[in-house]
Amino acid sequence: MFERERLVLGIAAKHLAKRRRQTAVAIAGVAIGVGFFLAVSAMMIGSQNDFIQRIINAAPHIIISDEIRSPPPQPAVRALAGTTVEVHGYKTRNEVRGIKDWQEVARAASEIPGSIVAPSLSGAITLRVGGREEPLGIVGVDPAVEQKIANVQENMSAGSLHNLETTQDGVIVGEDLAQELGVRMGDTVGATSRAGTRSLKIVGLFARGRGQFGNNGYVLLREAQSLTAQPFIINRIGVSIPDPYQAEAVAADLEGRFGYKAQSWQERSADFMTLLLTRNVIMYSVVSAILLVASFGIYTAVSNSVVDKRRDIAILRSIGFSESDLQRTFVAEGLILALVGVLAGWGLGFLLMEVLGSIKFPILGRVEHLPLDRSARQFAIASFASLTAATIAAWLPARKAARVDPVEILRGAA
Amino acid sequence: MSARALRRVLPTDPPVTLVHDVDLDISPGRFHAVVGPSGCGKSSLLYLLGLLDRPTSGTIVFQGIETNGLGGDERAQLRLQEFGFVFQFHFLLPEFTALENVLMPIRRLGRLPRSEMADRALTVLDSLDLADQSGKTPDRMSGGERQRVAIARALANDPALVLGDEPTGNLDSENSARVIRIFQRIAHEQGRAVICVTHDPTVAAAADVRIRMLDGAIERIE
Repeated sequence: MFERERLVLGIAAKHLAKRRRQTAVAIAGVAIGVGFFLAVSAMMIGSQNDFIQRIINAAPHIIISDEIRSPPPQPAVRALAGTTVEVHGYKTRNEVRGIKDWQEVARAASEIPGSIVAPSLSGAITLRVGGREEPLGIVGVDPAVEQKIANVQENMSAGSLHNLETTQDGVIVGEDLAQELGVRMGDTVGATSRAGTRSLKIVGLFARGRGQFGNNGYVLLREAQSLTAQPFIINRIGVSIPDPYQAEAVAADLEGRFGYKAQSWQERSADFMTLLLTRNVIMYSVVSAILLVASFGIYTAVSNSVVDKRRDIAILRSIGFSESDLQRTFVAEGLILALVGVLAGWGLGFLLMEVLGSIKFPILGRVEHLPLDRSARQFAIASFASLTAATIAAWLPARKAARVDPVEILRGAA
Repeated sequence: MSARALRRVLPTDPPVTLVHDVDLDISPGRFHAVVGPSGCGKSSLLYLLGLLDRPTSGTIVFQGIETNGLGGDERAQLRLQEFGFVFQFHFLLPEFTALENVLMPIRRLGRLPRSEMADRALTVLDSLDLADQSGKTPDRMSGGERQRVAIARALANDPALVLGDEPTGNLDSENSARVIRIFQRIAHEQGRAVICVTHDPTVAAAADVRIRMLDGAIERIE
């Protein structure tokens, strides 16, 4: 079985073994291409996954707010729809803020198996210390539920979310804001809002550079309701689901059923997702170029082999080898080069990842390692792309080998 | 094998006629020599008969098959099974040993069980007194040994027709005589048809049939 294939492979391997330098150069080309592809893609995909994970963990997967994407038609417009009367300049009805029947929405969301639902109220107040005033968005939460839905605690440098429950009038603010106001843990600040002026006590601080956490102050839900004079109002429902990648579908479903704007984490970070897509396009372009260059090496090696072996080609044809036998022989040369190159490239890529993985980066006082993605998928992509490129690169000169006219060469040699 | 009204014209400008009006019968068990001055079309005729080249017009019938109608792969298969070529230069594959060279057509044909392939190759090598050369690559053999390995390779698949293109052209008289004796044995004892293009009068003298060519045509057959 496969005698013909073994024979063809044997001839190809012998040809390559005789031309060591060319063979080594072609293999090195593929190996370097594959190795760097693996290292670069491990970094790109690793950082991308890390980034997405941070986005997913930082906040609820879906946020339902009391906003409506397009205002509902006014009763007059609805009543006169389809008639010849057109309504202009009417006075828009004042909608009450907050999610009406939020319990209903929360119940629907909690029916998804494994989901966590966190109702909250956000609003705005002004913090005042001495003569300094700073506006602050506040979020009123239930600490026990909020901790499950967003990794608040990990982003805090002092205190804990739990302190909101144990301390009367507690608030958690960002380190930056605290510094600007000149206050520290345990200090009291004045808070001005629609409901008047109150005193709040700092019971926790968010670490620097943590995006959204630094911009908002966290208080108890009922504290927020009283601070903003919106008793029993909920204007934001956070929902976490077991599979974050289902968020878009779930959000669309909830929005369709209740009409309130439900944003998935994907929608909220659409600009970042576009950025990631651009990054991937750039990476794959660069990597394709590397692999293309590597396949030039194979093309050259096989081309030279065909030119060198014209006499042998004529001999094999006279013995009774067919055109396709010769074609296979030289395609096999390219494939052997690519295969050895891919294996060497795996080794090189693994080595590069080890080196990259061992580098330490101090960021804002914390030591971090490069997030690397070492999934088998990248190895498979690199191998598939290299072998495909090599087959095409070898196929072109191999076709020439198959078309060599044995008579022309035999006549020339005689 | 019989050829009728064989004609081969190179489509150059102006066209060059290599072979014309050739009618020829090649019989099993006989040693045929094709002789004539350089450029008379001897080798061109041999390539046509060996199915390496296609005639411009005329027919070649081999074992009842009209070979013009065969495709490239079928012609290759026929060469593999029924034809054996021996050239002026040994034309062995330099990277392979004598045994591997002889195994090449046997393995390509793939008719024998794998375990018997090497035995077959060794038997053929042994019949040409080459048993002790089987592990050597061509660069470590003498000219006579190489040419005999090439003959062994030509005989590997037990062909009906052996074609020689100046097979003694590069050998001294002792090795030439040896090759001539082998060719006679192949024809007379093994019953194969042998056709040899040659300049060498000793080869011509040893042949059963002498085909004299001049300017692309057969002058006479004796």
